[in-house]
Amino acid sequence: MTPKNADALIDDRPQDKVFGVDRSVFTDEAVFQDELRLIFEGTWVFVGLETQLPRPHSFFTTHIGRQPVLVMRDGEDKIGAFLNTCRHRGLILCPFRRGDQKFHTCRYHGWTYDSSGRNALVTDRQVGQYTPRFAQLDHDLVRVPRLAGYRGLLFASLNPDVPDLEEHLDEARTFIDLVLDQSPVGQVEFVPGDVTYTFQGNWKLQFENGLDFYHFQSTHSAYLDIVAKRFAEGTAGALSAEPEQEAPVQGSFNFRHGHAVNWSIKNTDNASGRKPLRLEVDAVRARVGATRAKWMLRQRNLTIFPNLQIIDVQSMQLRTWRPLAVGVTEITSHCLGIVGESAEARRLRIRNYEDFFNPTGLASSDDNLMFEYCQDGYAAEAGPTQGYERGLASRPDGAADYAAELGISPVESAVGELFFGGEMNFLPGYREWRRLLSRGRNR
Amino acid sequence: MTPASVDPALRALAADLLFREADALDNQDWANWLAMYREDARYWVPAWIDEHRTTADPDTELSLIYHTTRRGLEERVGRIQSRKSITATPLPRTLHLIAGLTIAEADTEAMRVRSNAAVHVYDARTAAHHVAALRYEHSFRCAPGGGWLIAAKTIVLVNDRMPSVVDFYAL
Repeated sequence: MTPKNADALIDDRPQDKVFGVDRSVFTDEAVFQDELRLIFEGTWVFVGLETQLPRPHSFFTTHIGRQPVLVMRDGEDKIGAFLNTCRHRGLILCPFRRGDQKFHTCRYHGWTYDSSGRNALVTDRQVGQYTPRFAQLDHDLVRVPRLAGYRGLLFASLNPDVPDLEEHLDEARTFIDLVLDQSPVGQVEFVPGDVTYTFQGNWKLQFENGLDFYHFQSTHSAYLDIVAKRFAEGTAGALSAEPEQEAPVQGSFNFRHGHAVNWSIKNTDNASGRKPLRLEVDAVRARVGATRAKWMLRQRNLTIFPNLQIIDVQSMQLRTWRPLAVGVTEITSHCLGIVGESAEARRLRIRNYEDFFNPTGLASSDDNLMFEYCQDGYAAEAGPTQGYERGLASRPDGAADYAAELGISPVESAVGELFFGGEMNFLPGYREWRRLLSRGRNR
Repeated sequence: MTPASVDPALRALAADLLFREADALDNQDWANWLAMYREDARYWVPAWIDEHRTTADPDTELSLIYHTTRRGLEERVGRIQSRKSITATPLPRTLHLIAGLTIAEADTEAMRVRSNAAVHVYDARTAAHHVAALRYEHSFRCAPGGGWLIAAKTIVLVNDRMPSVVDFYAL
């Protein structure tokens, strides 16, 4: 089959206020292979936090697209990302999730690499009867072409032809800052404990879900009942919440290169009233000012295309994903801890995270099953879905006043009443998706 | 009491308690399942911290599930019974197999029992079949009116790359 070109899969006519996504982007094997090569292995992807490498020679392993990757801090405190494969016979060099090792020795024939990726030993090299050409070969680990950090968030790209990271992140950086600046030392860390799961659906279902406020009341009604009951009984763990002074709304900002954030302002906010930040808000406000503290207390779902979401609600989740097949996605979910927060704030953050997120939580498990029912439903050849229509009639700079408070000028913005559930923030991701796929296919 | 001198009658009692709990879960007999727990029961599924260690301190490390009273379990049961959660419409079928029972500690008031479980979870819609490999540790205490109640249960999920939903009935 000749796959439809990417332009035909995304029907984007801003002048006519039309936007549509072809269902096959969720189900087509050829599209999926292109996504791996041209998106996950073709642009900046999130790989981890610098705080996962606390000491010289600390390492962790991960994947970029299909490819196994080893990220290490060397003896001089420089962080490098390398393909996790021995140069000799190709096997996975480091089999561990994380640890501290000055040297990594291949378990097959003993070739050894140091924490800067340099080959330190070719076993029995002298008696190996190598040709002179062998000495000319590079025996070091293959370096991932681009690795950069933004305030401790590490991104890497297997494609060297990408803009600088800060330019790539565009003004989404402001929303990363709103997370990091909650910490007196400007750092976040993963709370120890691994959470990994799969769902039987395409990765873009999770991408869309993080951008989606519309689903919340219906998908999570059982969870909302539980929370309402806890509030009625005084067991919700509500902290002394100052009521929002502003009218309740939902809004979103769209940034360049596929990123977007959706946020809400609520007067009676179950989520914000339970935020651990409430315990330390005076100190935070003194440090960052009233406007940014106000935004820190609001729910913000940040999506950094293609594989990172930071959900700042009654806890803080960082999730990232690895597409395993067109209809199978692996999610890695972390509870983000604010470095320097009190033990009580940390405990609350952990409890709130476990309550809501993950297959074992009372809300994410609903989402995960929704993705699977969507994936199965996409098998029906029922034409484009009507899932990119909410907000199409809104002004393209509808939330400009809110953006101005933060000193940003998003490419587009939208705002509406509390149950607006705008879908315009899905668009930048699909536009970047189309750009990357078209660029690669035309090469 | 040391494990070597465990009374066979105590072993049989412990096995009966574990099988009763499994039976209640597999038969979706939530009321009787909850009734096996003390009100202050701790229910804990730690996360893994590396290849071989699970998290040890729920206040500074993550758990998959951590309830310090039976209330957390009651909420989970209520969510299933409400039929408002897609995870319960329909519920998968489950089958608990329990083996390797060891009495770790016991006296006349309390006993700590370790066992292994394989929980088969079958989704009748998709025919997807998942097996959760589990290590259980139950702490039982004598109930005031006779019999034994669960004071604490720790569940280690050995295969921790989870499917999309993992809830109490599948653990």
